[in-house]
Amino acid sequence: MKSLMNSELGMFEQTVSDFAAGELLDGRQENDRFPYGPLFEEVLRKARAVGFFSVTLPEELDGCEMGVTELCVLLDSLSRIDASLAAVIFTDTLAKEIVYRSRGFLQLKDLVARVGEYGGGLFAFPSHADPADSRGLLAEPVGEGLYSLSGTVDYVVLGGIAGSAVLPARTAAEGYSFFVVDLAGPGLGVSVPVASLGLHACPAVDITLEGARGALVGGEGLGAEYLERVTGTMNAAAAAMSLGVMKGSFEEAVSYARQREQGGREIINWSEVRRILARMAVKLKVCDMVVAEACRNAEESLPGWELGARAAALYSGEASVELTTDGIQVLGGNGYMEDYGQEKRFRDAGQIRSLMGIAPIRELELMRKVLEGEPLY
Amino acid sequence: MFSSNGDRAILDREPRFDDITSSLKSVSKMPKAAFRETAQVIATARRFNEEVVRPRALELDRLKHEDPDYLPWDMVEEANRRGFYTMFIPKLFGGHGLNMPSLSCFMEEVASGCTGIANLIGVHYLGVATLCASWNLRVMNRVMRDTAEGERNGKPCLISLAITEPGAGTDVEELELVGKAKVTCHAERVPGGYRLNGNKIFISNGHLSTWHMTIAYTDLDDPANTTVMLAVRNGMEGFSFGRQEHKMGQKACPASELIFEDCFVPDDLVCFDALQAARHTRSMQAVTMQVIDYVLSGSRAGVGSFGTGVARGAYEEALRFASQAEVGGKLLINHEWAQCVLAEMYKNVALARLSYVETNYANGLYGLFKVLHYKPLFYLMKYLPQQFVDAVVQPFLNMDFVTWLFRKIYFDWQREDEYQRTSGWASLSKFSATDAGVRNCQLALELMGGAGVRTDQVAEKHLRDSKLLQIYEGTNQLNRLNLFKCLIGRSVPAAKVFED
Ligand SMILES: Cc1cc2nc3c(=O)[nH]c(=O)nc-3n(C[C@H](O)[C@H](O)[C@H](O)COP(=O)(O)OP(=O)(O)OC[C@H]3O[C@@H](n4cnc5c(N)ncnc54)[C@H](O)[C@@H]3O)c2cc1C
Ligand SMILES: Cc1cc2nc3c(=O)[nH]c(=O)nc-3n(C[C@H](O)[C@H](O)[C@H](O)COP(=O)(O)OP(=O)(O)OC[C@H]3O[C@@H](n4cnc5c(N)ncnc54)[C@H](O)[C@@H]3O)c2cc1C
Repeated sequence: MKSLMNSELGMFEQTVSDFAAGELLDGRQENDRFPYGPLFEEVLRKARAVGFFSVTLPEELDGCEMGVTELCVLLDSLSRIDASLAAVIFTDTLAKEIVYRSRGFLQLKDLVARVGEYGGGLFAFPSHADPADSRGLLAEPVGEGLYSLSGTVDYVVLGGIAGSAVLPARTAAEGYSFFVVDLAGPGLGVSVPVASLGLHACPAVDITLEGARGALVGGEGLGAEYLERVTGTMNAAAAAMSLGVMKGSFEEAVSYARQREQGGREIINWSEVRRILARMAVKLKVCDMVVAEACRNAEESLPGWELGARAAALYSGEASVELTTDGIQVLGGNGYMEDYGQEKRFRDAGQIRSLMGIAPIRELELMRKVLEGEPLY
Repeated sequence: MFSSNGDRAILDREPRFDDITSSLKSVSKMPKAAFRETAQVIATARRFNEEVVRPRALELDRLKHEDPDYLPWDMVEEANRRGFYTMFIPKLFGGHGLNMPSLSCFMEEVASGCTGIANLIGVHYLGVATLCASWNLRVMNRVMRDTAEGERNGKPCLISLAITEPGAGTDVEELELVGKAKVTCHAERVPGGYRLNGNKIFISNGHLSTWHMTIAYTDLDDPANTTVMLAVRNGMEGFSFGRQEHKMGQKACPASELIFEDCFVPDDLVCFDALQAARHTRSMQAVTMQVIDYVLSGSRAGVGSFGTGVARGAYEEALRFASQAEVGGKLLINHEWAQCVLAEMYKNVALARLSYVETNYANGLYGLFKVLHYKPLFYLMKYLPQQFVDAVVQPFLNMDFVTWLFRKIYFDWQREDEYQRTSGWASLSKFSATDAGVRNCQLALELMGGAGVRTDQVAEKHLRDSKLLQIYEGTNQLNRLNLFKCLIGRSVPAAKVFED
């Protein structure tokens, strides 16, 4: 991402990196024990205080009015150390962006300003699945833009800690619609945190609703359209998270290989080990360029930039899964142990890859757009 | 069309006929009963999976996550009750004596449910194989009969293998490297035995085992020529357990630190050392390599079966999900691309399985199982009543002559090309099947998307479990190099291994 850096962005990156080094590094292993250890509430509080939530929202909504580039730099730099906080920001941003881009300015204004607990202003969202495939939740209008929601939604990320959730549900209209639901309101059953592969400090829950109140986001049946409006940004964001995890894994692998000796020399001097590192370096460099290019095109609103962001997320997602597998391998048995960061990065990479849903389906979706004439290059 | 003149020379060209026909050569030599036994073994494993493994796999994973010091004693006791720790121990030593290759089939089945639980059983046979590879029949008889006794009295008596040290992992798996290894486990010769000092790490089943086949060195500056293998029993003075590792997966199976502080091991528990090697034709270093190759040729096929099992577990979860989940308005399994992914996964399982099956054929012809697969002996052992074995045959095992004879067969009479074949194939199976395991888990997650990362959907646990398989029993890099050394480099005069 160096090619994007101007002095302002550089300073921002430094601030984020300092935050990650100061607040995330030492507690990484302990924080990842959630739910068998405490949630990193203090970190969430501080992250909120420095404005990491709502970075892309306008100032009137307590946001920083930043663009895709800053969002990516933020998530990349955090994920290098610990991707869980980045995933919290990702989820919250995704939910808020959907409401905001549906012209839900007023709807948001009240909610993001909610005070009290660190999670009060946070938004939960069932990422990891295409809302079009979830048919578990039905919405009946009860008047004044309010609906009564009944059914289930699986894997609502942050559902156990956020103040509100943005949930997809079916109405009489075709397609699905989004609703903002008060997570402290009546008619809601929330499961214990769902055990998962990675990102343990960014937990998810399954939610059951029985006549819970939901406020319609925008218009009925327009969910897919609103989601589409944010996919470019969120795909770039997901790619940036994969990228950050790759950086962390690569750095730890190189530093370990320089120190660990087998066969009478540092293992980095066995050419097979070095070649594994070299292939990791190639993947990392390519992804870094790809994410930077996606950001640049987004800033300039070049036609087709969203397609580029989709490709970036797909490519980085796959590359990070491969790279972190090698990242463990270079450390041998130690790579498999929680005492080192590699096994967590391996798990987080897999989890991040699925943030936007099933990869092959997303590939087909991309191809559909190409066939419909969106410019690929 | 055919002429036998000069055929041998041409068949010995690479790829050598004998290297690629172990299965073909075995067909006529296989006792028919071994086939029926294998069917029984697989049925037994499937029942165990249904009744115990699948219902409890996630629970064990969670318990260990909650409490990193948790030990799954109840699972070990269940396996012990079912006779799994003696099932593949030869009847000579008090076991049930089912044929060794069927152990791999058993492990594939159990690993398809949970690789951690498979390890709880399989690693014990790694200890057994190590003990057997020393061909010290007296110690073999003593230790394995302890396991059989443990089955009768309900107190599991497992055997672990301790090679790895904090500073030496890859190095101590490979004789060409061990000379340069920074080893610290020192066995000092003292009257009546050895005094053992040092630490072992990452020892699977350590805390759960009673016996520990421990590799140490009498001269830490010359480990290659001074290897000793000692049988250490819990409770021996100077031996204790250290910490358990906090692993990413295979949480059902502990990885332990073993600590030796002036631990005295008497001569009658020395499985193998320079004094014993001196009675054989080959050099100490060469015999040590044979011992290690016998172990690894068996155990790496075993890890191949774990890889096959986890590849299959991932495939089965993906298939279940695809048959239930609707994507874009129709079942995932009716998307053509998903069918191709499932076919790819099925293929990975099938090829991985073939690799360990072929390796076991080689082991039966040229390696660890050679004598037991000799048809007359196979049937003799199968149908001799256990009491007769115990009363009449057993006393012979304690005679030095019998150990000498077995070592003659296994050490002196084994040809170089024979252990190259078993060792090379074992490495091939180890890295191809375990790579297939990790690959299938990643494919499963890819296919399942968000559902794939949920622990209750099992595939993510398989992924965490599978990664270990690329590391232990020699990393997959080391196994590629071993395959090169055994089956490729030997025919290229200019080729040198580990001289990068
Ligand atoms: C959970 C677990 C259970 C285990 N169980 C047992 C057990 O029961 N008994 C036992 O004795 N051991 C056990 N092991 C140890 C295992 O066999 C070692 O971890 C393995 O041999 C690798 O050694 P290492 O971890 O020291 O890695 P290293 O040897 O430090 O290797 C680090 C990296 O360097 C590479 N490398 C090293 N040397 C070379 C070379 N010459 N050429 C190319 N690449 C090289 C490796 O491939 C690897 O990628 C276990 C390990 C784990 C993690
Ligand atoms: C050198 C050569 C020698 C040959 N020799 C013989 C011969 O001796 N006798 C003979 O009869 N034929 C022969 N063939 C023909 C050969 O069998 C065909 O080329 C082959 O069956 C593919 O058919 P196609 O070329 O028409 O490709 P197509 O059928 O047009 O396929 C094009 C692509 O579409 C894919 N595709 C098609 N349908 C599907 C589907 N339903 N789902 C998913 N993907 C699909 C294919 O996989 C392929 O990637 C030969 C071909 C070659 C190139």
